[in-house]
Amino acid sequence: MTEIAAVRDAARIDAPSTRAIPVAKALGVTFALGGFALLWVKQMWTAALGLELFAAAFWLWSRVADDAREQVQRWAWLRRPATAMWFATAAHGVANTLGASPHGVTGGSLGALGHLESLAVIWAALELLAALPVARPYADLPGPLLGVRPWLPAALPAAGFAILWRQREHWMHVATMREVAIVLLIVTAWLGALRAFGRRQWISGLRWLLVSDSALAGVLIALGVVDPASSLLLWASAIGGRAYLLAGELRGAAPRRGQFLSRLWRLAMAVASAALAFPVLIALGTGPGGRARPLYYLAVAVPVMFAAAITTRRHIEAPERRLMVRPRAIFTLGHAMAMLSVLSALLALALAWWRGFEASLASIVLAALPVAIGCGVAMPGRELPLRESARGSARWVFRSVVDLERWLVGAVIRLVQALSAPLRDLHTGDPQEYLLFVIGVAAIALTLPLLR
Amino acid sequence: MNPLVSLAALLALASAGLLLALDHDDERSRAWGLMPLLVLAPLSLVIARGQGAPIGWAPLASGLVVALLSRAREDVLHSECALKMLWVLATAFALSWAGLLLMIVVTGSSQPVEQWAALGVGLDPPLLWRMALPLGLLAGIVMVGGAPFHFWSADLLQGSRPWLGPIAVTALQVSGVAWMTQRLDAIHVYPEAASLASSILGIAAGAALLVGGLTLLWQRRPERRIGTLASLHGGLALAMLAAAHVNAGPATDLPPILARWSAHLVIALGGAASLARLVPVPVTGPSHPVALFRRHPWSGAAGLYALASLAGTPGTPGSLVWLDTARLLAASGSTTLLMALGFAWIASFVFAAGQVREAFGVATDPGLRGNPVPLTVRASLWIATIGLAGLGTLVVLGRA
Repeated sequence: MTEIAAVRDAARIDAPSTRAIPVAKALGVTFALGGFALLWVKQMWTAALGLELFAAAFWLWSRVADDAREQVQRWAWLRRPATAMWFATAAHGVANTLGASPHGVTGGSLGALGHLESLAVIWAALELLAALPVARPYADLPGPLLGVRPWLPAALPAAGFAILWRQREHWMHVATMREVAIVLLIVTAWLGALRAFGRRQWISGLRWLLVSDSALAGVLIALGVVDPASSLLLWASAIGGRAYLLAGELRGAAPRRGQFLSRLWRLAMAVASAALAFPVLIALGTGPGGRARPLYYLAVAVPVMFAAAITTRRHIEAPERRLMVRPRAIFTLGHAMAMLSVLSALLALALAWWRGFEASLASIVLAALPVAIGCGVAMPGRELPLRESARGSARWVFRSVVDLERWLVGAVIRLVQALSAPLRDLHTGDPQEYLLFVIGVAAIALTLPLLR
Repeated sequence: MNPLVSLAALLALASAGLLLALDHDDERSRAWGLMPLLVLAPLSLVIARGQGAPIGWAPLASGLVVALLSRAREDVLHSECALKMLWVLATAFALSWAGLLLMIVVTGSSQPVEQWAALGVGLDPPLLWRMALPLGLLAGIVMVGGAPFHFWSADLLQGSRPWLGPIAVTALQVSGVAWMTQRLDAIHVYPEAASLASSILGIAAGAALLVGGLTLLWQRRPERRIGTLASLHGGLALAMLAAAHVNAGPATDLPPILARWSAHLVIALGGAASLARLVPVPVTGPSHPVALFRRHPWSGAAGLYALASLAGTPGTPGSLVWLDTARLLAASGSTTLLMALGFAWIASFVFAAGQVREAFGVATDPGLRGNPVPLTVRASLWIATIGLAGLGTLVVLGRA
């Protein structure tokens, strides 16, 4: 009888409270929404608080999930961007008290604080954009909140972009950091597109396309070729469209119901993606106001082409399996959202042009080429060469890069542990060693001043 | 005496009294059990006097701590702690006294103000005072608990009774700061000595912050982690002193900052040390919350607030102490120390955030609540939280 009671008690411990679940869910939703809103406020501390709330939301959902232990560990990394943002806030606060702005200063404490601030903001944003090792494959994993699990990780690249965009004056002033960010974001766009291509499911692919597009939007900010309002609008049109598609997929593939709607969405996403990549490719290909960087152009063109091809190929009309087909409205929310996506992308380009972004005809052709090739090659009905082997290769490349990154990070950690092991062994806990420490430090204290 | 620090010391004494009432021996009367308060009160006075305490109070405070630790002879951890403290403090004082005597021989005066003026004449060979100065500071460096002496604070908080640890650690650290402040009084009149003192304190602060931060990352026992946090606060004090003596001028802005430092330390350490006794050693992966967080989650949150403040979590009074130090370092141009401070802050903040998550763990059945935590322990957690909230309010309003 006692054993039965013990087993029952153990089972009760493992079962999360039924009362706690709705409270945690509601609190998590409040934190996540509040946190996301705070990311768009200009003050650095609000952005840090926003990221902290975001991390707290994921933790609250994780600790009441059925697989709580796994989920809590899976999303623990979300505290890293929050810590980085708090650090940036502190560095900025200290610099401000010195009565000067650290931006543009290269030497002394002020210069160091400026570099630290820039590094911390970039760290926070890039980690959320899957542009740093360790947490990179998060878009492959379902989120902790039941019901919107596959959709939830899509919110993270949006948070990363919000940090990059809103806090741009705190990281763009250090040229080295900006250059590093551009390279990392291009690599992320590549990996995102490859992973989207490698995954069979359209939902999984969409999550990775969100990452890829957000990384491209980050490159757009770092290059600074269009004004901030245009870059925000370009990002919103591309990401908003993909987020709607992702949400729609979880609601019975609504955006793919009907031939017209699915074609409209295919067009909308091609236009929005092309518009987002357009200024980036022009800036890198022909370099208006700067120098042309053909290698960078090629590096960006390939993921843009992949993304266009994947959307064109995979966003096909959903097969109707119901015997009794319900009548559909002629104009639905899906139609409105697709049109909004196209219009906002065009409006953003017009705004950029109005505010001084200009391009020659040759550069426009050069910028439109990757999307045109991607859409043209992958048009539904057209036979694609090397379908399965190409997908397998994409999976292999992504996995190899992630494994290599993990190995490198692990090697660094192991090296630090190996180097710090003697430090730990110094302390055996014996009282005698305290005496040795004091005498040792006294000897150092005596010799150091003499060596000056 | 600074009224804010006095109030903080009084709160710490009240908290220790509550914990002491819980710790009494059944065979003796309750009044007898409260006798250690007679020793804790002078230790609180040492904290309240702060940098103004006479230099002789430092060895007296050390003696009181060792005596209290030795009192519980049957307690192995207490006895071991007493032995370790005796070793380290007695040797440090002996070496420092040698340094002080050497300085007196060189300058012909026992007053630091006169000593720097005498050295400024430049008649004596520099070798002797350059040896005497670091030796004279050694006792202070050991007492603030910066690395490589960060083990004593962790040992004391793990090995001693809950009512003794926080007050003893703070009293020793404040005495250490007082020792160094008085040794460096008016040192700016002889810039060469000020520069040497700043270098020594800078090296000590850098080691304290870097090694303390690294130690936090691998330490497992909650009590030892709190001890390491306390040693990091010792590192903060060293960094403040180093920054204050970089420039040729009196360190006028240092006393109010050090007063806030000691007031915060004694309150936050009390709450965090009480909490550390109630949370388990972390295992691999998240686990279920302990009884405190299942049965009294608000009291648990109060304890976590004290811990978060000790770790300098943004928004807590502790963060203002860390920020004060960073400002002093940035203003004095000590970039390397600023980096070390940044690393230590990240390490302690990450630890505090991790401790919050470990404490609440994963959700469990509310029917299994566990044994209640004694009221006096919970009261000590709340005293710390209320004290910290008051301190934070006063600092923000500019009254402290």
